[in-house]
This record gives sequence, structure tokens and C-alpha cells, in this order.
Amino acid sequence: MLMNTKIYLDNASTTPVDERVMKDMRPFFDEKFGNPSSLHSFGQEARVAIDESREKIADFLNCDPKEVIFTGSATEANNIMIKGIIEADDDPHVITTAIEHDAVLETVKQSGANYSILDVDEDGFVNLKDLEEEINEKTVLVTVMYANNEIGTIQPIKEIAELIKTKNKERDKKIHFHTDAAQAAGYLNCDVKELGVDGLTISGHKIYGPKGVGVLFKKRNVKAEPIIFGGGQEDGIRSGTYNTPLIVGIAKAVELLKEEKRKEETEELRDYMIDEVLKIEGASLNGPQKSRLPNNANFSFKGVEGESIVMILDQKGIATSTGSACSSKSLEASHVLKAIGLKDLDAHSSLRVSVGRKTTKKEIDKFLKILPTTIERLREISGR
Amino acid sequence: MITEENKKVAVGISGGVDSSVALKILKEQGYSPVGFFMKFWGKENHCCGVDSERRARKTCVDLGVPFYRLDVRKEFKKQVVDYFLKSYQMGETPNPCIACNREIKFKTLFKKIKEFEGTKVATGHYARIEDRLITTPEDKNKDQTYFMWSLDRKLLDNIIFPLGDLKKEEVRQLASRVGMPAAKISDSQEVCFVKDDLSDFLKDYIDLIPGDIEDKHGKKLGTHIGLPVYTIGQRKGIGLSGGPFYVLRKDVERNVLVVTKNNDDLLEEKVSFREENFFKDLKFPMEVKAKIRYNAPRKEGILKSKNQFEFKRPQRAIAPGQSIVFYQDDKLLGGGIIN
Repeated sequence: MLMNTKIYLDNASTTPVDERVMKDMRPFFDEKFGNPSSLHSFGQEARVAIDESREKIADFLNCDPKEVIFTGSATEANNIMIKGIIEADDDPHVITTAIEHDAVLETVKQSGANYSILDVDEDGFVNLKDLEEEINEKTVLVTVMYANNEIGTIQPIKEIAELIKTKNKERDKKIHFHTDAAQAAGYLNCDVKELGVDGLTISGHKIYGPKGVGVLFKKRNVKAEPIIFGGGQEDGIRSGTYNTPLIVGIAKAVELLKEEKRKEETEELRDYMIDEVLKIEGASLNGPQKSRLPNNANFSFKGVEGESIVMILDQKGIATSTGSACSSKSLEASHVLKAIGLKDLDAHSSLRVSVGRKTTKKEIDKFLKILPTTIERLREISGR
Repeated sequence: MITEENKKVAVGISGGVDSSVALKILKEQGYSPVGFFMKFWGKENHCCGVDSERRARKTCVDLGVPFYRLDVRKEFKKQVVDYFLKSYQMGETPNPCIACNREIKFKTLFKKIKEFEGTKVATGHYARIEDRLITTPEDKNKDQTYFMWSLDRKLLDNIIFPLGDLKKEEVRQLASRVGMPAAKISDSQEVCFVKDDLSDFLKDYIDLIPGDIEDKHGKKLGTHIGLPVYTIGQRKGIGLSGGPFYVLRKDVERNVLVVTKNNDDLLEEKVSFREENFFKDLKFPMEVKAKIRYNAPRKEGILKSKNQFEFKRPQRAIAPGQSIVFYQDDKLLGGGIIN
């Protein structure tokens, strides 16, 4: 099969690097390779690129450049925020949700802090009343993802921020609010002032930037202890030599979001696909109809294993996934699908289809042509 | 002949030299092989660990063959490991590869190839298929037909054994000539999910209850550490002085290990067996050759019925739980599990 006939419908797991991002990154591998912390001209040239990158990100987030921390991944950004705040507190209590990415869920669970995990409803939304009930005098951090990576649920971040703000007025110990926006950044408003968050995480490779780089917005007044020590870069909160090319890359990728935010078009294509797929017998949509990430669709097909669908589609040149790529090696059903009430069997029959900037209607049509026969075939084989 | 319908072949790959070369041969013959790496059960399984997976994936990528990893841990645990443990608890000496071939390996590959709209399945086993029968391979030292007796005869039309006409040495040479990652990997042996010592493994899953060692007249000679760790005919490791002693029987009901000094006590002619499977319809009685262990030579005898066999000359240490496998010349006729 020729490369160009392959169809990539797994943009939630990663995206290709935009050629404009590649172009901006290129000189910083060899030509402008200096260490941004060096005194000489090589260093200064690189330093300028870091500063400019920081400003671009700050512009996107509507924050002070000093509040932008470059990290090695979104996972690392989440760790720095969550563990940092926990370390800085004597008796911390953290609240998160049952459908967070493992980068948040595992970090909270392993931190040693007391924590509460909020259940979600059948579409994946958290309930503000539940959150309010879980807040106690020790609560120091609430971390709720902006949009879910498997089912696309967009959480009411502004409302949560409002609630926390109100709570903070009547108490001494401040509750910080962090959101993992790794999936959201590509399509949703990430103005931290409008959202009212104290922390926000972005990933490079989900927005047509490079892998191996992330950004943490951390509001200046948030007290967090460093969890990585060394040369004191990033105000001592994230030591390690600046990765100039990747930082330039994520900044360019973020800058391009302004002109590339084709939210409506993406949504339209995705909705068309959902409507067509739901015509297949025994197909159901996991996650919400509204308030859903524009590029995400997640289905279950009665009596069919999701993994088998993914393999057959791959044979036909179409890349999809059963859920999170990070957990695709595990036998366990998705914790997200279980949290929205799916039985093990239905959770194992899930297929996530995530469109991207380059996805065309023609590609979706080809997918829609192949999928029903694939499902039918698998049902025949399993005799259901 | 290779046609569009049978072009696609599901190949079981382990990252070892045999399945890697099998994949390459199929590709050269004009098939469109698809590599399936099966993740079996066991923390330190020496057939399907991360190194094996890495080699298998690299081999596929190098050959331009699709690679898929299949997690069959749950099924393997149920169909192979649980059977293995239960057999030991019953005082038998199981052969897990038989169960794996039938219930896991070939079953999984056939399921996948059906999904992939193909018909053929291949593995790197040393065996041949001729006239709808499994026959012994060119390399008699590597003959793996013993482990195949339980396969469903309906499947044979669609199985390919690409290594059947090759010697192991040729397979190795081929692998190193093309620089396969598996070229220097030594053969897998023993039970894949048991790391070192069998009794250490068994101890983790079943209760080993010490009991008496007796001679065949019921005289107590010592104490054993738990019946499952002993095999019929075993000499070493019984722990009695004044020997040598041989394990003659396991009396599971009384938890007694019966031993003998007389090697001839272990000789038997008659073998009854169960769970039989034959690749063609046979008329009993029938003169055939039989094998009672993987490494045992084939010996003449008469297949009296579908569950009874009698050797011409008595055989030593026929162990319940092992397979008895029947041959006519080079043809594998079938087999069963020794009672």
C-alpha cells in the first residue's frame, strides 16, 4: 500500500509536525545551537529565541511570560504542578476526576497526599455540587482536565474556577485550580484569565508541534516546590538545559493555532462521521453530543472487540485506536469508559476516531465505506 | 499455488530465529505474511518478553511485514497454566505446549486470519504437511510433530510450515546472512512460563504437602516434599540413601510417593489414553509406532482401540499426563494424553 493512500484518523494520540514549525525549528539544531544560558553570542542568539517563544505562548494564554514554564512533556508539566503544590503544603488534599489522563491520575495517587476522585456522569461531566462537597479545609489543589482524550468531554472549567474563587474568599488556605489542556489547546480558548485557572498544561505534539516538549502555565502566586533540581532554569522550577529547537517548535505550533483554529469545519466533518457511523447496527456514541472536543469521536460496537477493528482498519490503511494510545498495551478496559458507566464488554468494543487538520471528507467517506463491512465481518466470525 | 484468496498468511512470530526465517521464506515465496506476536502469560516468560517483542517487531519492519501484538495472557492463563497446575495436582506430568498449540497459538492465528479475510496460517515449527497429514520434517533432530497431535484435522489444509524442508543449521545460516535480530538467539526450551526451577514455580501456586516415601510393599523409607515435583522414572533428587531409587508411582489419595530400586518395575507395555485426536479414520487394531515423550524414540506396538495401545516391548517410565503420539512411517496419525 502506498504511503499517500493511508488515512490517519488518530490525531488525538499525536499529530504530524507542521512544516512551518519544522522550518522554524531547523536552525536551532546546528546553526544556532548555543546554550541559551551561555554568555557569548551563540548563547544570546538562542536566548532570544527562548524569550520570543515564551512571549508567543504568553500571548496565546493571555498571561505574563514569566508564568510560562517549558517542560519535557505535558506529563512533566502536570507532575511539576501537582507534586510541586503538594510538596509545598504541610497537609495537602487534592481533588481530581475519574476520567483524567494517567499523567494526572497516577501523579495524584502516587503523591502521598490525601485525595478525592470525583465521579462523572454518563457523558463524562463532573458535577459542581460533588466538587463542592469534596472540598475541605485541607484542599490545596483541584485538577480537572479541560477536554478528555478518549471521549472528548469538555469540562465546565470556567464554572469550576468560579466556584473555587467563591470558596477561596471565605477561607485562609487557598485552593489552586489546574487544568490539563493537552487535548483542548488545539481547538478551545486557553485564555487563562477568562478561564480563571492557576495552572494549565499544553503538549507540543497534539497541536502539530514536536514531541518531547510541553508548557506549564503557573500563576505567579502559586507556591510550588521544584521536583527536578539542577542548574536552576525556569526560575528554578524546572532545571535542565533549554531545549531550544523544541521550545521554538511548540511556540510556533501555538502561534499557528490562531490561524488554524478551524473549529467549525472540524466539527462539521466529525458530526457527519458520527451520524453515519451510528447508522451501523449496534453502534453507540461514547461521550457527549454537545460540549465535545471538535475532533473527537468514540464509539462502541456491540459484540465486537475494538482491538480487532483497529487491526483490520490498519490492514486497509486506516489508523484509529481503541482509546488512549498510552494504555493500549494494557488488558484492562479504559478507566474513562468504565467511569461513564460502560460494562467491561462494551468498553472493550470501543473505537476512537479523531480527525485532524488534514482530514478530508473523501477520507472520512472511505472510512465510512470500510467500517460497516468490517464490523459485520467481525460479528460473523465471533458468531454474535 | 498462491492466489489472491490464500495470499495473506497469519504467521505466529516469537522473535526467535525459526519464526523470523519462516516469515522471510513466506515473503520470498510471494505470500503476504502478517506477523502476530502473542503475549503469553508469566512475569518472566522467556518466549514472549520485551526483548522477544522488540526482535519480532524489528524483523517485521525490516521485511516490510505488518506487525501486531496480541495480548492472550488471560486465555493462556486459563487454558494452559491452569491446566498445567491442575494436572500436577492430579499427580500427572503435563505437557503445556500441547494445550498451547491447540487452544492458544493456532486458534488465535486462525481467528485473526479470518478477520483479515485470508485463510492461511503459518508457524516456524519443524514439521511438514503432506496429503492432509502432518509429517516429520527434514531435520529429524528438531522434529516438533510430537506437539501437534491435538490440532483439529480440519485446520491442516490451511497450515503452512515453511521450515519443514530445512535443517536447523540452514535456518540459522539464513538468519545470520541477512542479519536478522534473532540470528544469535538460542532455542527456547522447557516450559516458557516457568523461569528456573519447576518446584519453585509450583510452590507459588499450589500447596506442596510433604508425605511419606514408600517402597512398593508399603514400607516407609523417608519423606517427600510434595508429590507434584516428582516425575515417574525420576532418579535424582529423591533424597534417600542406599539407592539408587526410582519414582514408581504417585499415590495422590494417600499423598505417598512410591519408589523402587528395581528399574524393571518401571516397565510397562499397555498404555491407556484420553482426549484422543486422530488425523484420519483408523481401523483398529493397527500396527503403528508410538512416542511417549518428546525426546523418546518411536517404538512399535499395536493401537488396539481409540484409547488403548500396547507396545511390542515394554517401555520404561510411562508418565501419566504426557502425550502418547502415533506415527505410521513419517506420518503423524494422532495421539492422546496418557492415563
